[in-house]
Amino acid sequence: MNPLDQARLSITRRHFFARTATGLGAAALGSLFAADGPKSAGALPGLPHFAPKAKRVIYLFQHGAPSQLDLFDHKPALAGARGKDLPATIRMGQRLTGMTAYQASFPVAPSIFQFAQHGQSGSWFSELIPHTARVADDLCIIKTLHTEAINHDPAVTFFQTGFQLAGRPSMGAWASYGLGSENQDLPAFVVMVSQGTGNAQALADRAWGSGFLPSKYQGVKFRAGGDPVLYLSNPPGYESPARRRYLDDLASLNEMSQRELHDPEIATRIAQYEMAFRMQTSVPELTDLTKEPEATFEMYGPDSRKPGSYAANCILARRMAERGVRFIQLFHRGWDQHGNLPREIRQQCQQTDQPSAALVRDLKQRGLLDDTLVVWGGEFGRTVYSQGTLTETNYGRDHHPRCFTMWLAGGGIKPGISYGETDDFSYNIAENPMEIYDLHATMMHLLGVDHTRLTYKFQGRHYRLTDVHGRVVRDIVS
Amino acid sequence: MRSAGVVLGICALSLNAAERPVEFNRDVRPILSDNCFTCHGPDAKTKNIPLRLDQEAAAKADLGAGRHAIVEGSPEQSEVIRRITTESKAKRMPPVYTGHSIATRELEILKSWIASGAKWEKHWSFTPPQSPALPRVSTPAWVRNPIDAFILERLDREGLKPSPEASPETLLRRASLDLTGLPPTPAEIDAFLSDRSPKAYERAVDRLLASPRYAERMAYRWLDYARYSDTNGYQFDGERSMWRWRDWVIDAFDRDMPYNQFAIEQIAGDMLPNATAAQRTATGFNRNHRGNSEFGIIAEEYAVEYVVDRVETTSAVFLGLTLGCARCHNHKYDPITQKEFYQVYAYFNNVPEHGRAMKYGNSPPVIAAPTAAQQAEARAIDAKIAALQSAIGARAAHTRAGMESWRRTVAGSQTSWPLASGLEGDLSKILYDIDDRFTVSARIQSAAVPHGAVWSRMSNSPRGRGFGLYAKQGKLHVHITSDYDDDGIRLNSKTALAAGRSYNVLLTYSGSRMAEGIHVYVDGAEVEMEAELDSLYRPLGNAGKAFKEPFRVGEGGGPENRFNGSVTGVSVYSRVLNGDEITALASTGPSLLYYLDHAAAPEVRAEWASLSALRRQREALERSFPTVMVMAERGERRPTHILNRGQYDKPGEVVEPGVPAQLHPLPAGAPNNRLGFARWLVDPGNPLTARVAVNRFWQMMFGVGLVKTVEDFGLQGEWPSHPALLDWLATEFVRSGWDTKALLKTMVTSAAYRQSSAATHELLQRDPENRLLARGARFRLPAEAVRDGALAISGLLDGRTGGPSVKPYQPDGLWKELTMQDMDYVQSHGPDLYRRSLYTFWKRTVAPPMLANFDAANRESCVVRESRTNTPLQALNLMNDVQFVEAARLLGQRMMRESGATPSERLRYGFRLATGRLPSAKEAEVLSGSLSYHLDYFAGNATRIDEFLAQGETRPDPALDRRELAAYGAVGSLLLNLDETVTRP
Repeated sequence: MNPLDQARLSITRRHFFARTATGLGAAALGSLFAADGPKSAGALPGLPHFAPKAKRVIYLFQHGAPSQLDLFDHKPALAGARGKDLPATIRMGQRLTGMTAYQASFPVAPSIFQFAQHGQSGSWFSELIPHTARVADDLCIIKTLHTEAINHDPAVTFFQTGFQLAGRPSMGAWASYGLGSENQDLPAFVVMVSQGTGNAQALADRAWGSGFLPSKYQGVKFRAGGDPVLYLSNPPGYESPARRRYLDDLASLNEMSQRELHDPEIATRIAQYEMAFRMQTSVPELTDLTKEPEATFEMYGPDSRKPGSYAANCILARRMAERGVRFIQLFHRGWDQHGNLPREIRQQCQQTDQPSAALVRDLKQRGLLDDTLVVWGGEFGRTVYSQGTLTETNYGRDHHPRCFTMWLAGGGIKPGISYGETDDFSYNIAENPMEIYDLHATMMHLLGVDHTRLTYKFQGRHYRLTDVHGRVVRDIVS
Repeated sequence: MRSAGVVLGICALSLNAAERPVEFNRDVRPILSDNCFTCHGPDAKTKNIPLRLDQEAAAKADLGAGRHAIVEGSPEQSEVIRRITTESKAKRMPPVYTGHSIATRELEILKSWIASGAKWEKHWSFTPPQSPALPRVSTPAWVRNPIDAFILERLDREGLKPSPEASPETLLRRASLDLTGLPPTPAEIDAFLSDRSPKAYERAVDRLLASPRYAERMAYRWLDYARYSDTNGYQFDGERSMWRWRDWVIDAFDRDMPYNQFAIEQIAGDMLPNATAAQRTATGFNRNHRGNSEFGIIAEEYAVEYVVDRVETTSAVFLGLTLGCARCHNHKYDPITQKEFYQVYAYFNNVPEHGRAMKYGNSPPVIAAPTAAQQAEARAIDAKIAALQSAIGARAAHTRAGMESWRRTVAGSQTSWPLASGLEGDLSKILYDIDDRFTVSARIQSAAVPHGAVWSRMSNSPRGRGFGLYAKQGKLHVHITSDYDDDGIRLNSKTALAAGRSYNVLLTYSGSRMAEGIHVYVDGAEVEMEAELDSLYRPLGNAGKAFKEPFRVGEGGGPENRFNGSVTGVSVYSRVLNGDEITALASTGPSLLYYLDHAAAPEVRAEWASLSALRRQREALERSFPTVMVMAERGERRPTHILNRGQYDKPGEVVEPGVPAQLHPLPAGAPNNRLGFARWLVDPGNPLTARVAVNRFWQMMFGVGLVKTVEDFGLQGEWPSHPALLDWLATEFVRSGWDTKALLKTMVTSAAYRQSSAATHELLQRDPENRLLARGARFRLPAEAVRDGALAISGLLDGRTGGPSVKPYQPDGLWKELTMQDMDYVQSHGPDLYRRSLYTFWKRTVAPPMLANFDAANRESCVVRESRTNTPLQALNLMNDVQFVEAARLLGQRMMRESGATPSERLRYGFRLATGRLPSAKEAEVLSGSLSYHLDYFAGNATRIDEFLAQGETRPDPALDRRELAAYGAVGSLLLNLDETVTRP
């Protein structure tokens, strides 16, 4: 907020409290928390650039990189190539990670899982994801994402920030910076992390960081067990009525400073303490699933009763969507199946398939899918050749950046389609490649943002999420 | 303040712009740069764009058909103006797709500039500063030092008056927080208030500058610039040890090392003649960048990133330039070509390093960096060793004679003569992992050409993990293998052993994790080894699990590697043996060392045993030395290529090291290497370094730099709010011998600094961001000072300086939920919980949550701009974090113990501890109301009291009434949460 406006509102506390919903509070709080109203509070002037199709995003990040070959990208022709060396005409000397670069051969490993077509759209799904298959006609399956990065950390950083090295804002931070919040009591950008059963790679705070944007745009991590938001609970022995009185006294004292010094930051601080107090109610209300009907848990599956599970986080994501959180991002770890892929991917799918599909159905039945964009995917794909020994029942897959599959649903995405084709080995892209920048540009577009015009000047440059790249993929927009 | 950037960005221009003539550097170039240079700038050629607007000649040249982009004196004929104003959307500049447009006001500036002759100037920051004349001002009496003349001159022009001086309490609090990061104590305040001398404030400033707390406060900002961290970053983010570099920084500030020397030592201290250990430690500055140890990375890719990081950090910190923007193409705004980027890169591209970092610990090059105490201990042991050696030496002839007669008595009766010193019976304690030093000696003989494992500790397959010494068709082979393909060390001897002969083969390993740490001896003579692989980075034990393979003699690595002869007399030592010892082990007969260990006269043996014990003690001490990553130069210079599009795998033309042509040349006589570059940085002819430094110090003392873009003094950087003041400070800084303390003293004793920070409606309107300084600056404390302040106010602060980083309170599970292999945060206990925040362990991928909440820099890469936000998460943090709840209780305890008996005295004391002043009557009333409320709240509720008082590791004073203490603790929390407490006034 312009400090001038704030200072002009040298206000009494009563006046202040009366107005927090739409007046000073809304403006003072910028994006982290803001008020209801005709326009989202904390949005940049001129934003959204045009009418948005999606008001919010739920991004289900499958961390570690799920195998497109075992889930979506059906390659029946591979059966004949089983165990044979990947043809040089396919590999074309592409760089490999240090994990398989020294392998003497690259034996082709067809998926051992059964594939079938589902829905009106006839999209292919493997037997590992029966629930997802049932929402086939809501999904847009993109088989031709590709990335430059071949290792987890740079690849995740690239996906999240549009750049492989640390330092740039994450997409949620950009959304929060540009569009502000629709809920005065909750953050605009929330992150939840769940643990898979498979090989987990490290994550970092920077994946939801604000980079060079002010830190208030960073994702707020909601956690299971203990405080859902860090430091949310009052200290033991100190309860809510005392806190209320405490805040009144604190505000009285701060207002005395404000009257003497006329520093707008003091007014902002008073407002922030009030927001903190409201969060102490709104966050537990949000994360309390006890009032959810039985049907919810049945829909999201048995894991959903377990706090901190991917399934429970999916329910929370829906609850956040209902409450107007702008950008909700789940990270589920454990998809890095270099070895023992058949066993490990099955477990990962058991944890994620039903809740992911349930989220789509649930949003739809509540009328929220139309303006909520759901995104599912990892940071790259996996190789068609086996890492390590290929046997009848076992194989592993190394990182593969050249093509991989994601799905999108709702929020203005064309439902029931597949986009892009890979070659017979799911190694190279045959048609309609899609860069991560394109995904970012398209997501922003659906949020009503022209990705070339949401910029922030830092170190003399006008930075944007898509750097100098990105095109809106109109073919997948309804 | 979301819109703050927008509002303030135009501040320098909007202030009074109408009343002064247009200046190219201040008014015109920023418009051209921001809107035009991306295409019509230094990189225009790459895009095949003929017109450049960043150079005068090009901008005024004939474009053909009589058209000129800029026609001096005639906006109407200038193509630039025509294209900005054309009705044709297709022709209008800047093109719509750029998202840029020229505002009406900017257009007026361009027109007026062209109309008045389109006078060009070199970019201001590329011209060396000249000490400006002091301006004439309206109120000379206000001027305490030259800073004030520059500030007041601008206020005069704006028709503003400075604010009155702040109260003495405010002033002392302000200077204490700015210079030491801590609030003043009541005793310090009393002393200051009672000092009636006109020099009182200056004396207080001198006291603050002399305090070790000053050095810590200056250091923590420098750690941000230098992206200091206790972990490696990237994915695995294992621990590293750079705190000896951090302590070097503290020490440098404490001693007020001149800034030019401070720069030279950090950039190239290792290359100074007779470089000291401290000077080499200083170069850790450019090893603080992240290091990637992810399995499967392509090492060359990251080797490039490290060098790029050094260039970006060095240029941002010392030059205020964004050289990194010229990595992939010529700089879009500044006159720096891509080739020049790689020429600077070449200075930093000659470190003997590997692109893959060690998974745990420091990556080479590394030096041992003992602390002062350890150095003293080492000296004391050395003195004792020398004394014993000379005593033993004095009897050498006698001992030798004794040895000769003894030798005759034992001839033929014994075949093995192991050394007592360091011999290990328990193998599980040594040969444990890749950091362990050891020596293994063995005697081998084979009828055939020796082949197979002499000894090993590895999984039993040919390419297994572990280590061992082998003979391979006679040639000796040593390996340490974490992954056979690319994670290990393998060495082979050039010469071969013969069939039928008996050899002593001995291997020493220093634990360095590099081939250079391995030495092999045959019969006491060192054998030349060739490295087949020298890339070891992951330990054998992993995720806290020890490496469990057994030590095997004569086998290991599968059946095919069984030794084809005999292996006898194997002895294992937990250290690197010295030459005498190696010779002794090689001999087949009894050695002098054996005699001294076992057979000499009792008093000689006793002396010898003491000497051996001392040597072991010395070695143990040495092994406890912390290490630090440092810069070093390779013997042969690594060639530097221009990397096309900045990509590691697209090398182009080879370039020589060099400095950007637009800046001054290397100083005469300076070598064209990193040391020469360091000297160039602080050469008096350098137009940037001093300006950039004083501007950052200004940011620390006034909240915002004179150039707000402290990281960018290039064409896209902000025009200084007070250009002449900046130049005066810069020239004065150099003239003073780059004396940082003197510079800061000048700043904080100026009248400008001493003003009250109370704003008025008019001032808020005229100058919301307070760039003109018609009032004192007021801003929230940096993250470190928020926490340190609470610790100081509560009396918890631990005053020790330096040492390994500590782990204060942090909510459970934050590391575990993101890291691999269950790496968990193991909280410190006792005094380590209460150390200053610059000692808090910094994990890059999971930053300390409280510091991150309060806008601490991320330490992933260089950050020089201070950032401040105001969020509800901060409120929750200050109210509910156990660190602050405990501090609040201790503050309550101080109120009860250290003050009078009445509540009002106690509350006044607490308020003063927190804010540095006494409360007004109204404030006192609120506090007393709060106390009464909390006394009632806790009354008769032992559970509440017990729970509330149990927060934190310290225990409440049992002499105090618990209900009262809880109530005072609650008020203590209120005091710690006051805006005033967390604000620099």
